[in-house]
Amino acid sequence: MTSTIQVPTSARGAESPRAGGGPVQRRSPITRLRPWLLLAPALAVLAVLLLWPLVRVFLFSLQDYGLREIVSGEPNWIGIDNYLEVFTDPTLWTVVLPNTVGFAVLAVAGTVALGTAVAVLMASLGPFWRTIVGSAIMIAWAMPAVTGTYVWVWIFDADRGIFNETLQALGLQDEPVNWFTNRYTFYAIVLLNVVHHGFPFVAITILAGLLGVPKEMLEAAEMDGAGPWRRFWRIIVPNLKQVFAVVIILSTIWDFKVFAQVYLMPGGSGSNREALNLGVWSYVESFGQNRYGFGSAIAVLLTLVLLAITVVYVRTMLKEEEL
Amino acid sequence: MKKRLLPVAVLATAAFGLTACAGGSNGGDGGDVSAEGETLNVWIMEGTNPDSDAFFDEVGEAFTEETGAKLDVEFVQWADAHDRFVTSIAGGTTPDVAETGTTWTAEFADAGALAPIGDFVDDEGLGDDLVEGLVTSGTYDDELYGMPWYAGVRSLVYRSDIFEELGLEAPTSWDEIVAAGEAIKAAHPEMMAFAVPGDAEFGVYPWVWGAGGEVSEQDGDEWVSGLDSAESQEGIQFYTDLALKHGFSSAGATTWKETDVLDNFSQGNVAMALMGSWTPAAIVEKNAELEGKFAATPIPGKDGGIAPSVLGGSHLSMFNTAKNPELAWEFIKLMTTGEFAEQWGEQSGYFPGQQSLLAETMESDDPLVAPFATQLVDGGGTVPVTPKFGAVQAKKTTNTAIQAILSGQKTVEQATSDAAAEMNEIMNGN
Repeated sequence: MTSTIQVPTSARGAESPRAGGGPVQRRSPITRLRPWLLLAPALAVLAVLLLWPLVRVFLFSLQDYGLREIVSGEPNWIGIDNYLEVFTDPTLWTVVLPNTVGFAVLAVAGTVALGTAVAVLMASLGPFWRTIVGSAIMIAWAMPAVTGTYVWVWIFDADRGIFNETLQALGLQDEPVNWFTNRYTFYAIVLLNVVHHGFPFVAITILAGLLGVPKEMLEAAEMDGAGPWRRFWRIIVPNLKQVFAVVIILSTIWDFKVFAQVYLMPGGSGSNREALNLGVWSYVESFGQNRYGFGSAIAVLLTLVLLAITVVYVRTMLKEEEL
Repeated sequence: MKKRLLPVAVLATAAFGLTACAGGSNGGDGGDVSAEGETLNVWIMEGTNPDSDAFFDEVGEAFTEETGAKLDVEFVQWADAHDRFVTSIAGGTTPDVAETGTTWTAEFADAGALAPIGDFVDDEGLGDDLVEGLVTSGTYDDELYGMPWYAGVRSLVYRSDIFEELGLEAPTSWDEIVAAGEAIKAAHPEMMAFAVPGDAEFGVYPWVWGAGGEVSEQDGDEWVSGLDSAESQEGIQFYTDLALKHGFSSAGATTWKETDVLDNFSQGNVAMALMGSWTPAAIVEKNAELEGKFAATPIPGKDGGIAPSVLGGSHLSMFNTAKNPELAWEFIKLMTTGEFAEQWGEQSGYFPGQQSLLAETMESDDPLVAPFATQLVDGGGTVPVTPKFGAVQAKKTTNTAIQAILSGQKTVEQATSDAAAEMNEIMNGN
């Protein structure tokens, strides 16, 4: 009820210069509802495409929902058992969460750092070289995740990979080492893959922001004796706060739910239990075993976690803005 | 209880619907179904037969001639087939008949998506002429849901040119495998004498069974995994020792899947490996130079004999959404018996699911057909037939154990007892 009044009020504010700002009470219900009527088609589409699936996923997460329930169409409510199972599974706490969170932190840091560095480089280049570098990193971006993953797998292949052959040629190791069986080397390779695939987006987005930083400001700072390092941290970064917020939030979401890049690696599809992350774990535990209810519970939790991260991040950004 | 009642109820409804619209086509006798103007929807997996289009054109003609109905075949990729089945089950858009991998039939039957076909088989008197392993995997709760169509089996494939060069005979016991491996390793250090892939469960069970162990057995209502028995441990110890103690395998193979074994064998990097009866064609296709340079032999048991190997392949299953079960059965019969079944086997390199046809194949003296056929008949094994074992496979319980041993994370004792405990938990869970 309150919301139906609030929004038209603000809408009225927007049109008031033209309408002359008549009192609200005299308006007919149609006028008051007009913004909602105009929004209705878009809201309806969103509700059908986004809201309803979300509600369904939540409802599934409260059921023991498998193939049999799909066939019969009968619900099978079990309350919060799925959630209890998620939280009491030791794999979640000892392997899955550390892998997922640790990887996401490193991957986001790596992607944003490399992307920013490349953006700064590109901003200082002339149009010709900027096009060359831009096209080159676009290729890394355009490469499908599956293809990219296989290329990295070949590079680090134990028997014939170029990495092992180089190490052996240099005399640094005597026998081939399978880098995919160790948790840390496994994720180091995933990290290379994901950073390589993700940094072009960050670079292009930040470059767009960089080109919008007023030249006068930078020149003034230079006149005042600020070196490049200081100019970057004191002028460019504060100016690009919103851009950084967007790329960090998006990267966090992407890196949290990385799946193909882990699943397609040797041992990554579940046979190396130390390498499970949230995406692969939920797939193996739920979809592989037709336990859609359990999978939905994990999906709901993942959504909540990402939502929380985003909210916290956006709020800190906005607060700093107000100062 | 509920499991068994549901499909029958749906089938009955379907049959009533049929009588209403088709005007009482008489079934039961078989062979004289008239279904003029109807269309039968069928899903077949892509890639089994390189020339499926031509084959199904012929089948379609024969089918129309016999029943008057049109045949509509849709080819489905193995990789997304399971998802497509699940989505179509959810949406009520399942085909009338579909090829189902042997491990899926029990799963879909358990969900109530399939119609039992035992009565049709009995009416035709086919029951005794079907390959046993495929009947076992197609039976759920004492009802037959999957009609045996074609079968494949894994055996020991080896490089006959290298064996000849070194004066070796095909191994018939575990000791002979080691002896042959040592000879190959000495003469061809650049090759892997015996590939031990860490992410291929079907390469593990022959050693478990060959040593007298069991994967999992039903004891009353409870499943008891035998992976941690002394026999199973001995088999797994031997298998992993081929890599760890004898150095026949490679560091990379620790994370290999079966496809990696095939790729490396085709490239000439591997001298011995467990591979499927469907792979020889693929090996020659990938590397024509290997033609005539490799052969197969049944997997040896510990002290001789044949170690059982998992019998894979496909069933034809009728979904309970089939509008005309008699018509669907006519198609299943056409495909799985007689001329077309034989032709399919020849073209795809798989063995027919009908015993009498298989007997003919057995007489072949092709070094890449006869040993597999022997393995199939004398040493065909099945993994536990329950949807719960599908969950074990999805969780890669066995693969995890082998990979952990190969990478040195666990000992054979640790890995097998962990795997057995996990298997018991999954298979006896609700």
